[in-house]
This record gives sequence, structure tokens and C-alpha cells, in this order.
Amino acid sequence: MAGESFLYQFNALAGGFFLLCTFGMVATRQVQGCLRFFVLQSLFLAASAFVLGLRPLSWHLLAVAAINVVNKPILIPWLLRRTIPEEVHTRREITQVLNIPASLLIALGIAVGAYFLTLPWVSLAGTSYAGVNIPIGLAALLLGAFTLTVRREAVPQLLGLMAMENGAFFTSIAIAPELHLFVELVVAFDVLIAVFVIGVLTTAIHEHIGTTEVGSLAVLREESSR
Amino acid sequence: MIVHLVYNLLQVAVVMAFAPLLAGVTNRLKEIVQSKRGASIIQPYRDIWKLFHKNEVISDQSSWIFRFTPYVVFIVPLFVTLLIPVLTSYPLFFAFMGDMLGGGFVLALGGFFFTLAAVDTANPYGAMGASRTRLVGFLAEPVFMIVFFTVSFVAGSTIPYIVQQAWVQPLSNFFEPAHVLVMLAFFILILAEGGRIPVDNPSGHFELAMIDESKGLEFSGPAAALMKWGGEMKLFVLICIFLNVLVTPWGLAASTTFSNVLLAIPLVLLKILIFVLVLVAVESSLAKLRLFRISEFLGVAFITSVAAMIMSLFAG
Amino acid sequence: MIVYAILVLPVAAATLCWIPATGKRAAAPVTFASSLALLVLTIKLAARVVAVQKLVAAPEWIEVDSFGALILVLVAAVGFLACLYSLGYMPRTTHNRSILHHYYGNFNLFIFSMVAVPVVVSPSLEWLAVEFTTLLSVLLVGFESNAEALEAAWKYAILTLTGAAIALFGFLLLFWAMQKGGGSSYTWAGLAAAGAKMPPEVLKTAYLMILVGFGAKVGLVPLHTWLPDAHSQAPTPICALLSGVETTAVLYVILRLMPIMHPALGGIVEEWSLIFGLLSVGVAAFLLIQVHDYKRLFAYSTVEHMGIILTAAGIGGAAAHYGAVYQILAHAVTKSFCFFAAGAVLLVVGKREIASVEGLVRRSPLAGSALLVGALAIAGAPPFVVFLGEFSILKAGISQGRYVTIGLLAFFLVVAFFGILLHVNRMVFSRPAAPVYDRRPAGAPLGGPADDPNLPAAATLDERWSGPADDPPPEAVDFASPRERQLIPLSCRVTLLLALIPVVVLGVYVPRPVYELLSRAAALIGG
Repeated sequence: MAGESFLYQFNALAGGFFLLCTFGMVATRQVQGCLRFFVLQSLFLAASAFVLGLRPLSWHLLAVAAINVVNKPILIPWLLRRTIPEEVHTRREITQVLNIPASLLIALGIAVGAYFLTLPWVSLAGTSYAGVNIPIGLAALLLGAFTLTVRREAVPQLLGLMAMENGAFFTSIAIAPELHLFVELVVAFDVLIAVFVIGVLTTAIHEHIGTTEVGSLAVLREESSR
Repeated sequence: MIVHLVYNLLQVAVVMAFAPLLAGVTNRLKEIVQSKRGASIIQPYRDIWKLFHKNEVISDQSSWIFRFTPYVVFIVPLFVTLLIPVLTSYPLFFAFMGDMLGGGFVLALGGFFFTLAAVDTANPYGAMGASRTRLVGFLAEPVFMIVFFTVSFVAGSTIPYIVQQAWVQPLSNFFEPAHVLVMLAFFILILAEGGRIPVDNPSGHFELAMIDESKGLEFSGPAAALMKWGGEMKLFVLICIFLNVLVTPWGLAASTTFSNVLLAIPLVLLKILIFVLVLVAVESSLAKLRLFRISEFLGVAFITSVAAMIMSLFAG
Repeated sequence: MIVYAILVLPVAAATLCWIPATGKRAAAPVTFASSLALLVLTIKLAARVVAVQKLVAAPEWIEVDSFGALILVLVAAVGFLACLYSLGYMPRTTHNRSILHHYYGNFNLFIFSMVAVPVVVSPSLEWLAVEFTTLLSVLLVGFESNAEALEAAWKYAILTLTGAAIALFGFLLLFWAMQKGGGSSYTWAGLAAAGAKMPPEVLKTAYLMILVGFGAKVGLVPLHTWLPDAHSQAPTPICALLSGVETTAVLYVILRLMPIMHPALGGIVEEWSLIFGLLSVGVAAFLLIQVHDYKRLFAYSTVEHMGIILTAAGIGGAAAHYGAVYQILAHAVTKSFCFFAAGAVLLVVGKREIASVEGLVRRSPLAGSALLVGALAIAGAPPFVVFLGEFSILKAGISQGRYVTIGLLAFFLVVAFFGILLHVNRMVFSRPAAPVYDRRPAGAPLGGPADDPNLPAAATLDERWSGPADDPPPEAVDFASPRERQLIPLSCRVTLLLALIPVVVLGVYVPRPVYELLSRAAALIGG
């Protein structure tokens, strides 16, 4: 029993840091910093999957944790470095769509909203883990989408996307642990392809347009009657 | 009862005695990290001693606030010491007088007078430092409030003696996200309130870049000694609140026997030493932030504390 | 077995395209062969499905029923036409002919991802397939590598992948709801078995998230902004695929979910789909009026048609469902024809702005008449296939007494009709101030400066009448034709002719097997 309450608190702690890392991705200007927060976030996702897989022992969740440790903190940064030139990684955002304190406050509102939205599900789930994982997963999903809208740089936008998927999986390890392992593997592969494709696209944009501030690309507008 | 009163006074004595040592050790460690030899760890005692033996110069343009402030700054940390657990994990004689919120307000009183006195002399640096301190305080105080609220949600109380037990009973509560996140947020607050890097550089000598130091430039002689000593005690008290209330009650005396309470003194000092090592590591690895980036740094503390609050609110 | 062949074929073709030494030369013929084979296989498969109802290749993973077979045939057909069109179109227009094998390789992979959508029955794999349709087409959209194409590709990737991530959350919630409802296998059938026992509070959010997330991919209105960009900036054959079948393949998933959600959620399912559908039709219809780019015109029309299909599904009832399915078919064949026609116009004029095209019917009777026929067909003029679809939807709605919905829908359809024809009419018939001749050297790559040595110096006369049967009268051709033949390659002309056949034929006569397939598919939407 004592062990279980420890596991519960460890999972909640992983959840807390997971949420904090998501906030970090909303708030950091540097591309590098954003990447680092993403790596940390994925590690906390893996930690949560690991804790959840311990009791009752579930090899499936442990495998999910292992996939996450290999895939996101190691392969994705490696792939990003391979496909995107170094110059893009050292960029930082000079102008934001929203200033950082304002976007953090909105992000907080989103997180609280996620908690309120998930209240009925948590009571439906009935397990103590679900109370942590469902709201935080949804919050990460929404905050990832928010990151996408407030960022202008290409790589942080991609990372926001990845954060959304992390959020979805953070919830799924608590509510749907029986999902086929095959599916998890293919999704991990799919994430890599997404990084590769967007990496290639970013490089092309960098080469042909000369900037990776994709948020301010606006050639294709209805108003600009050419 | 008498025993409690004695221990309470002992706490005050410990804070008065060891606060300059804390400053000395921190400075020495930082200089060692910077590959300097550094001053002796008892240098702050010598400074205070020297200042007490010097003449005091007071501007004839200043009001009573300027004369009164050093005593307030000196007394306030001592008063807070009466309320909080420094050596014992059970409430002492004067502990009924206030909870954590009360202690926070009393500490804020010292800062209030300090700021007024800085403006009082019409030294331009004083007013500049005062306004900057208010900027930092303005950003830090909401976080203080949220930390206290979170703590009260978790423990059901703001009495420090109840709060400190809530973290370790059962032991798994120590890893509760609210606890860890509140610790993180409060650590950032100590950096901000104590005028440490990355918010302020306590060893800087360039007036235009100062935040905290520039407010005390006009004080001299015994007044300066009191201000310096009071400032060191304030940091000591903040660290005691952090370590004994927000982190764990470990190392505090649980029984009323005299030997136990005496043993608590080295244990608490050991905890503080560990804290100082962390502080030095943080200070040495960060650079001072530009003034308008401080809001973002404290924003981190704000987010962390609110995350702690959300998680503890919805955990039930 | 045949299902596996369908899945393996495009992947194999893509691999062949990327073989280092021979891939460059072999890419185009290999892709052509594989897409032709794919078309034959899917038609065979559809015939089998009509006979046996449901083909099971791998239980709980890969199964094909009538609705899936319909989408499969449409993907293969439009894929084949797009490939045929590419053969002539791509070398003419691309900025860099030496990387065309990348185009064909990617093209095959894109076909693979779209083929995968209707054959998998597990929603989790379905999500993956849809995600892959985005990932594998992003680089095709940005193939031209100029600022506009790259911007469009970026918007396309980010918005649709965001939608996919939201839908992923929805699918995970759906899985959870199914378990709570006592279902065991995460397939369409397993979900239907859990049926009404699924907890509505979870299911509602799951449905909304999938609707919004995949709605972004389909181009439903609040999240449609990427669609006109991507569907106008991509190379024309890719536009035809994106607009004609990719959107429908994703819509297929939403339509599949509706009968599953219905027992637990009740009328909400239909209401939301009506709201999203009508909103899309309405907004797209009015946006159609203000476009400046004729490829964007057809892109907005895609948004409108997706809205029509969703509205039809929302109206409910067997007749409306048949209308929805028929509209899927009609839109796929007509919209791809429209884009092929727009591509022909682009080949002749070299610009995408509507204002830059004047008197097209004189300048190039073939492109002009194709564009006019395409516009009439997609806007819903009577003899064509879209008219039949829209008419049956309106009729189904009226017979159910949904007068407000139908009134709105009919109004929007009229606005869209007006919007499309307003622009196309001006492009085709307006009289230029002075006779305009294209001053580019014939057959030069668009935007590229160099003359093209590989082109036939002059078209031979016996090629002259290989154009579509509805070619304009000779006296109009006489003045523009030799030039036109140089501008529009043979493969594009053949594609236009082939693509026109179903647009006209299905509008007046629906063959028995097609009718069987459609009505079975409609019954599947009905649950």
C-alpha cells in the first residue's frame, strides 16, 4: 500500500514536470531551449509510462516507456540536426506574436480549462492515475496547439506539434494501456517521418526564402490582389 | 512553558549569531568557484564590528524615517524568528502570534521602511534602487501569495508547524507535485528577494546596475552595521522558512530535552550549508538578467506555483 | 490477396523510382504502369465486393466493404489520370527536371497512403493512414520550391498535422469509451458492438475532436485556410489528387464514425455535421466570389463540396445518404477534371491570375472549352454528374421536411454557381482589347528562361484531332491549333478526354454495378 502511494506521487510528480516543460516550450525564445524542454517533456512522459507499468506489472507500458526514451530524446534531435542546418537551430525569436508573460497567462488559463473539462472523465475513469494523466495530457495537447499559434519559428512550431502528440500519449497511457503495441511502434515511426518531412521542408524554406520565420510568411493571402 | 520561552530566545540568538557566518561562507565559496582566494568566512563579523566603531553621518535633509529604519530592518527578522521553526518542530512560546502570512507581512514591513529610507535622502541612486526593488517585489509578491495558498490547500493550514508535518506524513507526500513545485517556486523567490544572481548581483560595485545595494549607500557607522546585519538575518530567516517549513522538518528537535535542541543547531546549519552549496552552484552558473527580463524569470516562479496550486486543487 | 497486391503495388513502384541508377529514367513508366494496374485491380476488387459484401484480408486489420471499395476505385482512377497527366505536364512546368523521379516516387507513396485509408478497419490505423496522407504529400505540394509553394506546403503540413494530433486524442478517447462500453476489438465492427453502452460524456468530446481534427484535413470551414493555398500551389496533377480524393478519403473516416456514434449520442451527431457542413458551404460559396486565382477557385469549390457531403450526411435517411455517397463520386471525378482543365489553361497562359486570362476560347479552344465544361459541371449544371448528386440531396431533404436546411443549402449552391461561372465566363469569353499572343517560346517551362530542346519542333497534322471529341468547331481551331498542340502535351489532352467521360456519362446514366456499390455504401453510412 505504501509502495502504491509512492508510485502515485511519482507519477503525479512526473505529470507536474511534464506540464511545466510544456509551459517552458510556450515561453522560451531560443530554438535550442525549446528543443531541450521537448526532450525533458518526453522523458517525463516515459517516466510516467514506466511508473504506471510497474504495478500491476505491464510489459506493454514499460515498452512504451522504452520506445519514448529512444525515439524522442535521442532520435528526433538527431534527425533534426541531420536535416536542418545549424543556423536554424541557433535562432531565437526577436518578435513574438504575444509577449511572453501574456502568453504564459493564457497558457495557464488553458491548463485550468483542461482540468475543468476533464472532471467528468476523471470520475468516470475511477483510477487514481487517471486524475493526473487525463487533465495534464489534454492540457499539453492544447498548449502544444497554443505554442503553434504564438511561435513564428519553424522548429518550435514542429516541437509544438510533437508536444501535442506527447500530450495525447500522456493521457493514453492511463486510459488506454491495452492499445496495440504495434500501433505505438508505427506511431513512433510516424513521428520520425513527420520530423523528417518537416525538416526537409524547413531546409527548403531556409534555402529559397532565406528565413525560417514561417509565422510571418504571407504571400498567399486573399487580400493581396496581385 | 519556561522551557519554550528559553528555546525561543535561543532561536533568536542562533539567528543573530550565524547569519553573518552564512554570508561569509557564501561569499567564500563563490570566490573559490571563481578561482579566487576570497576573504575569510568571518569577514562579515569583522565588518559589522568595524562599522559599529565608526561615526555616523546623517543628512540634515532627511526625516525621522531615515533614522528609524535601521532598527526596523534589524528587529523585523528577529521578530519573524519568534514565529517560525528554526530549531524545533513544535511551536514555541511566541509562535501563536502569527502564521506564515503574518511572517510574510512582517518581513515586508522591513522592506517597506528600507525603501522609504532610500527615497528619503534624495540620493538619486537610492530612489533608483527603491523603484527597482518595488518592481521585483511587485512581481514576487503574487508568487508568495500563491505559494502560501497552495501550502494551505495541501496542509489545510498556514501555521508553519502544521505545514511542515504535512509533507512527510505519509512519507510519499514528500514527492507530491505540489510540494516539489512549491519548493522550486520558493527557491526562485529566495533568489529574487535575497538579491542574488540572476536577479541582482550582491557583490557588484556599479551603482547603475544595482538593485538592492544602492538603497543602503547613505547609511554609515552603526546604522550601516544594523542594516547589514539585518539583511543577512533576513536571508537566514528566509532560508529557514524554506528548509524547515517548505522542504522537510528533518533535523529539527522533536522533543523538549535541552540536548536535543542543542543537537538541532549543527543539523540545521548542515542543512543550510547544503542549501548554500546549491545557491553557489546556481549563482555561479547563471548570468545576471537585464532588468526587464526579471519579469520573465519571476514568471517562471509564478507558473510553477500556479501549476502546483492547480495540481493540489484537483488532486482530491 | 488482391487487397495486399493493391497495398504493395504503389510501395514497390516507389521503391523502383528511387533505385539510384535506373530510377531516373524508369520513374515515369513505372508509375504509369503501377497506377494502371492499380486501377484494374481496384475495379476487380470492387466487383468482388459488390458480389460478396465484404472482403476480409486480415481480420480486424484489413477488410474492404462497399464504401471502402468505392473510395478505393476513386483513388485509383484519379491516381491513374493524374499520373497520365503528369507524364506530359510535369516536364513542361517543373523548375528542375532532374529531380522528377522524386516526384514520381513521392506520388506513388501518396497513392499508397490514400489506398490504405479505406482498407484498414482499425480506427488507430485509420488515423495513421490519414496522417501519412499528409506527410507523404507535403513535399509534393512544395515540389516547385518557390516561395509560394513552400509557404503553402508549410501551412498545409502544420495545420493538418495539428488537426491530426487533435484527432489522435479523439481516437484515444474513443478507444477508452469502447472499453467502457464493453467492446473488445478496436475496429468499426467492435465499436458498433459497444454501441449505445459507450459513455456519452467521453464520446461527445471524442467525436468533436475527430470532427475538428479531421475537419481541418477535409477543409471544413474554421480550419480551411490552408486548403486554397495548398490546392492551388501544388503541381496540377497533385491538386487533382488532393482536391478530388484526399479530402474525400478523410471525410470517409468521419462518415464511418457517424453511425457508430449515433446510438450513444443521438441526434447530436447529425446536428454537428449539419452545422459544420452548412458553415463550410456558406463560407466557401461567398469566398468563391472574391478569388483572384483560378486554381484557388476550384480549391474553394472543394471546401464547398465537402460541406455539401457533410450536410447530406447530417440530413440523414437513406435517400440523403445515397446523395452523399453519389456526391463523393461526383465530386471526385468532376473536381479532378476541373483541375486538369485548369492545368491546361496554365500551360497555355502561364499565369494563375484570373485577370490575366482573357478570351481563352479564342486563344486555346481546347483549354477554354475544357475549363468551361469543368466549371459548369462542378457548379452543378444539369447534364453533369454533380447536378444529379446535389439534386438528390435537395430532394431527400425536402421529402424529410428540412426546409430551413435545404433552403440555406440551395441558396448557397446558387451563390457558388454564380461565383464560379462569373470568373470562368470572364476568362473564357471576354474579348481582349488587342489580339493576344503568348510571347513565350512554345513549350518553355513556366517561369524558366531556357528553350526546351526536347520538344517536337512542330506537331504533325495527324495528331491534330486527337483532342477530346467535343473540340470546338474547326474554324476556331484553325487560328490557334498548331500552337495549342505545342502548348498542351498529348498526355494532357488524352487525360482531359478520359476524365470527361465519367463526368458526362454518370450524369445521365448510372450503370447497374455502380448503382449497387453506391447504394450499399450509402447503407453503411446509415449504420
